[in-house]
Amino acid sequence: MLKIENLHVKVDGKEILKGLTLTVPTGEVHAVMGPNGSGKSTLANVLAGRPGYEITSGTVTFQGRDLLALAPEERAREGVFLGFQYPVEIPGVNNVYLLKAAVNAARKHRGLEEVDAFEFLTLVKEKMRLMRMEDSMLSRGVNEGFSGGEKKRNEILQMLVLEPRLAILDETDSGLDIDALKIVAHGVNTLRSPERSLVLVTHYQRLLDYIVPDHVHVLVKGRIVRSGDKSLALELERRGYDWVTGEAA
Amino acid sequence: MTKSSEAISGAEPRNAALSKRLLDEYAAVRESLPGEVVSPARRQEAIQAISARGLPTTREENWRYTNLRPLERARFAPAAASAAVEAGALGTAAAIGAPALPLPSPSDLPPRLAGFARYAFVDGTFAPELSSPEEQAGLTVQSLRRAAQGTPGRPGSATVFQLSRALPALGNLSEARLALLNEAFATDTAAIHVGGAAEPARVELLFIALAGADSGASYPRVQLGLEPGSRLVLVERHIGAGAGSHFVNTSVDVDVGRGAHLTHYRLQQAGARATWLDTLSAVLAADARYGLLAINTGALSARSTTHIQMAGSGAELALSVAALGDRQQVQDNFALVEHIAPRARTEQTFRGIASGRARVAFNGKIAVREAAAGTDSRQSLRGLLAGPEAEIDVRPQLEIYTDDVRCSHGATAGKLDESMLFYLLSRGLSPEVAQRLLKWAFLEDVVSKIELPELRRQIEHDLAAQMADASLKELL
Ligand SMILES: Nc1ncnc2c1ncn2[C@@H]1O[C@H](COP(=O)(O)OP(=O)(O)OP(=O)(O)O)[C@@H](O)[C@H]1O
Ligand SMILES: [Mg+2]
Repeated sequence: MLKIENLHVKVDGKEILKGLTLTVPTGEVHAVMGPNGSGKSTLANVLAGRPGYEITSGTVTFQGRDLLALAPEERAREGVFLGFQYPVEIPGVNNVYLLKAAVNAARKHRGLEEVDAFEFLTLVKEKMRLMRMEDSMLSRGVNEGFSGGEKKRNEILQMLVLEPRLAILDETDSGLDIDALKIVAHGVNTLRSPERSLVLVTHYQRLLDYIVPDHVHVLVKGRIVRSGDKSLALELERRGYDWVTGEAA
Repeated sequence: MTKSSEAISGAEPRNAALSKRLLDEYAAVRESLPGEVVSPARRQEAIQAISARGLPTTREENWRYTNLRPLERARFAPAAASAAVEAGALGTAAAIGAPALPLPSPSDLPPRLAGFARYAFVDGTFAPELSSPEEQAGLTVQSLRRAAQGTPGRPGSATVFQLSRALPALGNLSEARLALLNEAFATDTAAIHVGGAAEPARVELLFIALAGADSGASYPRVQLGLEPGSRLVLVERHIGAGAGSHFVNTSVDVDVGRGAHLTHYRLQQAGARATWLDTLSAVLAADARYGLLAINTGALSARSTTHIQMAGSGAELALSVAALGDRQQVQDNFALVEHIAPRARTEQTFRGIASGRARVAFNGKIAVREAAAGTDSRQSLRGLLAGPEAEIDVRPQLEIYTDDVRCSHGATAGKLDESMLFYLLSRGLSPEVAQRLLKWAFLEDVVSKIELPELRRQIEHDLAAQMADASLKELL
């Protein structure tokens, strides 16, 4: 599904990703952990095509295609979804309108007709119930006045409606209370399938109790310094990052 | 000595050639201008005042963003007056007859709003064929030209209502010159008078520019008086027939009596090649409430001058303006809100978007006079630059002569928010749709203030059309 090789990325002239290599096969869930500032969000943003990142070398292949050659909206229509660490508020742009425009953009890309308005609303409301979101949130501006946890739930709602092939969730668990964490994890799990891949960026192994990853990677200073199975997350929690950085050094 | 007379005596006439031409044009048609609309003496005074002072130029501070070049080529005489002179019909209100061009058909006009009486004016002159008057308690609407002719069946036509106050009410002549130009050449006046009634009166004034600028100007003119305690919802819409270029110079005078409530929607949708000039002057008595919401999208070169005096204590004003400029359009707005009496509250909101090579400006001045203790004044001016060659100018100005005031103001001008844009792209929206969506959202602070759902839908459709985006229609 996703193959990142020797990726080097600069931001404002400063190298943040320094030869990152990571492969996520179809149907798998990979967790990426790492200290603050290690480059996790940079990786997520680069995959989604955010401007402002200078890719100095390396390749990213998504389903056999050069992902970096695609515009952000093309990546989205091809099925790449980024759940933002800090979802932006867009007052005046209606939540449900955005959802519908997003779904229709992807459908058009695949040569499908626009969704039926009624069926679409029924589907959205069903997903909202899953995320325990109030219907009234639909008619509000995108994330406008949403609490931190509500914003994260809204990201997952969008993901559930868009049904991406590759979802990259950047710290979707931070700022969630215990119940919300379970709701979000449940939402994510409903999307797990042999056709889809998931990259979870997280600081807490607790999320991984609910969404059990196939692999765990540790990102330190712009590079994956260690990979393992689920137990790696537990070990990190016990021993801290010094343990891996010490080893990497 | 008043400021205005100082200005007349003190300033060298600028644009001497232009002033001369103005006088000549006036002299040629003055016999055909209806004295019942503006008396010959007042016309004469007005034309002399402007020619002495000179028409505005961009060297003047409050006119620097205006495109005044069309004035140089403009024919100032009303198209209909020139035609009347040619036909040899002079002297009375009857002189100005039907326009030479065929009237637009009612089906080409914007749909009527339910419950609103519509009064249409073509090139500034009342057009009964396109109007749908409606009797409403406490409401008198007249064409001063027709009233003078004694048109039967129009309620209250015997007592021609005139504003008590004579122009220029604008404290500063400099900003009133275009209103004087209107006074000199006006062919008609929509005079609206509202007395107390249980229900608010509802009126739509539809001004249609028909004559091309090469055959003459058009002078829409409104005098609006609300008796104490009365209420009115007024929709004032300016459109152009065909793609012709028009020269329109509007003057609106508003008097809101004690405790009266006026909701006033102004839609400037002049033709794409039109020059649109406009002066609105309003005086609010004690506890009066005035909601003025303007949406300016039309014309090639537009300038709106708004002067509102908070003359009575406790009066309230909400002034909201949205302006869209695209291609080579110039949308210039100057607003002066003057606090004269104590404890008045005013709120100014401006949202402007400049795309293409357009220039959009809002110069919002708040003046708080000595006696205006307890003033509460807020201003939020925001401009959005949506094209590398576009220009946006938002300028707050505060002039405060008393200590006891609460004034807050914010003015920003900038581009679309990059992180919002990326968020929308990351959801698969095309850059074009994402940008239009954000522009749309930007106008929301003004558009959301439209309290009439029907009008709001109409305006949203017009805005979507202006932004030339079919995908936005889904929004509505
Ligand atoms: N626009 C920028 N200009 C300069 N430095 C930047 C910019 N954006 C990111 N960085 C730097 O890049 C580094 C990596 O940031 P990134 O957001 O990817 O970290 P992260 O691993 O997601 O951290 P966290 O766990 O705190 O979310 C940080 O040192 C950050 O300061
Ligand atoms: Mg991060």
